[in-house]
Amino acid sequence: MSRNVRVAGSLHEGGENVGLHRFALFTACSTAFLIFVGGLVTSNQAGLSVPDWPTSYGWNMFTFPYSKWVGGIRYEHVHRLVASFVGFLTVVTASWTWLTERRRWLRNLSLIALMAVITQGILGGMTVKYLLPTSISMTHACLAQTFFCMTIAMAFFTSPSWKRGLPLVEDRSEGLRLPVICALTTGAVYVQLLLGAWMRHTQSGLAIPDFPLAFGRIVPEFRDYHVAIHFSHRLGAVLVTATIAWTAIRIWRKHRRDQLLLRPAIIMTGLLAMQLTLGAFTIWTEKSPVIASAHVATGALILGTSFLLTLRAFTMVQREVAWR
Amino acid sequence: MPKLLFVIGLTTLLAFSACGGGNDPFKEDGGGASAGAAAPALTATVKGKITFEGTPPEMKKIVTSSDPGCKNSDLANEAIIVSDGGLENVIVYVSKGLEGKKFPKPTEQKVLDQKGCHYVPHALTLQTGQELKIVNSDETTHNIHAWAEVNSPFNESQSSKGVETIKTFDKEEVLLPVRCDVHNWMNAFIGVFTNPSNAVSGKGGAYEFKIPAGEYEITAEHEKLGKQTQMVTVAENGSADLNFTFKAAN
Repeated sequence: MSRNVRVAGSLHEGGENVGLHRFALFTACSTAFLIFVGGLVTSNQAGLSVPDWPTSYGWNMFTFPYSKWVGGIRYEHVHRLVASFVGFLTVVTASWTWLTERRRWLRNLSLIALMAVITQGILGGMTVKYLLPTSISMTHACLAQTFFCMTIAMAFFTSPSWKRGLPLVEDRSEGLRLPVICALTTGAVYVQLLLGAWMRHTQSGLAIPDFPLAFGRIVPEFRDYHVAIHFSHRLGAVLVTATIAWTAIRIWRKHRRDQLLLRPAIIMTGLLAMQLTLGAFTIWTEKSPVIASAHVATGALILGTSFLLTLRAFTMVQREVAWR
Repeated sequence: MPKLLFVIGLTTLLAFSACGGGNDPFKEDGGGASAGAAAPALTATVKGKITFEGTPPEMKKIVTSSDPGCKNSDLANEAIIVSDGGLENVIVYVSKGLEGKKFPKPTEQKVLDQKGCHYVPHALTLQTGQELKIVNSDETTHNIHAWAEVNSPFNESQSSKGVETIKTFDKEEVLLPVRCDVHNWMNAFIGVFTNPSNAVSGKGGAYEFKIPAGEYEITAEHEKLGKQTQMVTVAENGSADLNFTFKAAN
């Protein structure tokens, strides 16, 4: 059976820009790596190991001697350098987009991403200047995830496949139900990452020291707010597991022939399994920095995959809905 | 339609990004002693032993390889140090009974040394306004990050051996953690008080301090094992024995 191929709204707005797409993809991958490096900073309690900003111990960040990259300084300084690199990539992406793209909304998106990365850099500096206040640290962590989604969106909308037009879903009986479910899942993952950031930045990561039980019980006694924050993250994990399972099962049942949906759904499910395992080991290893950072990065990857799935789902049902 | 939904989704994400966290809702207000009558004479003594009951946890060795400048291979976790059955580094202080009493600011400096990539001493007490000299005796960079909640927090670096920094705290605060963000195993705890009647338990868990005669609530506080209080009465030129027992955490 031949498949309907929808003509995406952008096809007539310029040819394929493979170079920009690859560059945007590289920026998204670099951002995922940056989130991992940022996780290493928090996990090693190194956020203030370089007490000045934008200088590093009085040096220009890019000429800070390697011999001084010791202890926690290594994590913080590498984070600053990788962040600068991602900032540079974002500047290039935005410039490239403005020079070559005719889609105004895409140009605006690249500009919003640029503003987000600049804001993110300033927030990073403020965490140093104001000694890691929870509100700024959390905003820094949440904006990181939002910016990551922006880079994914840039890579998605510049992709040749999007420009050529994604195929419509085979089962057209559901209308917008699938994209809405995907969007809800993305929202749930985002809220869970927010809870995770809250837990990390209030030093509540080991407030409940056992897993899968909590102080030997299913629901712990809430001795202080650290326990409450930690437990909310565990409840969030249950909610996210349920929403991801819901999304994956629906895709498997209704859209298993739509590879562009099935693949990210399978990847997201695999990442979820990995994430739950990493979460457990974060407790069992008493917050081993590498494991805790991998937990942060995998959370970002789940968000990114879910966000991509949402974009694809909206794109792949849109024309079908319009036909109805 | 997809563009609109995309913009709505992005706006929602940005809105969540901006929502951030709040301040610690359980943060206690400290506050210092108010000025009152002239300082009473410290004629009495409170002394005793902090006993540790149970099996002390193993002092886990600290791997310092992340910094070649830390050549201390004997470094171990100092959270719970037990010697001769006594618990060290417990801050013992007057929690009730000296309100409104005013004591002169000591001229003697106290020293917090960064030596062998750990703090010496691990716990100390200060009087408000008393100078704390922070010294770097190591061939590496340290930063001194005071996680004060009542006093002003600070984070300053000492990038070479021999550098000294003088700090004072103007409000009462217990326990005030000091950490090095370069070497995440390094921490020390300070008790800041408006009076001089306090001490830190040393070898064998022993402590002793001078106090004016009277009736007091005494608190013994440990960084990991929490705090306990007891009442004590001491006469002029008298001495009172006051012992505390901390049990191994489950």
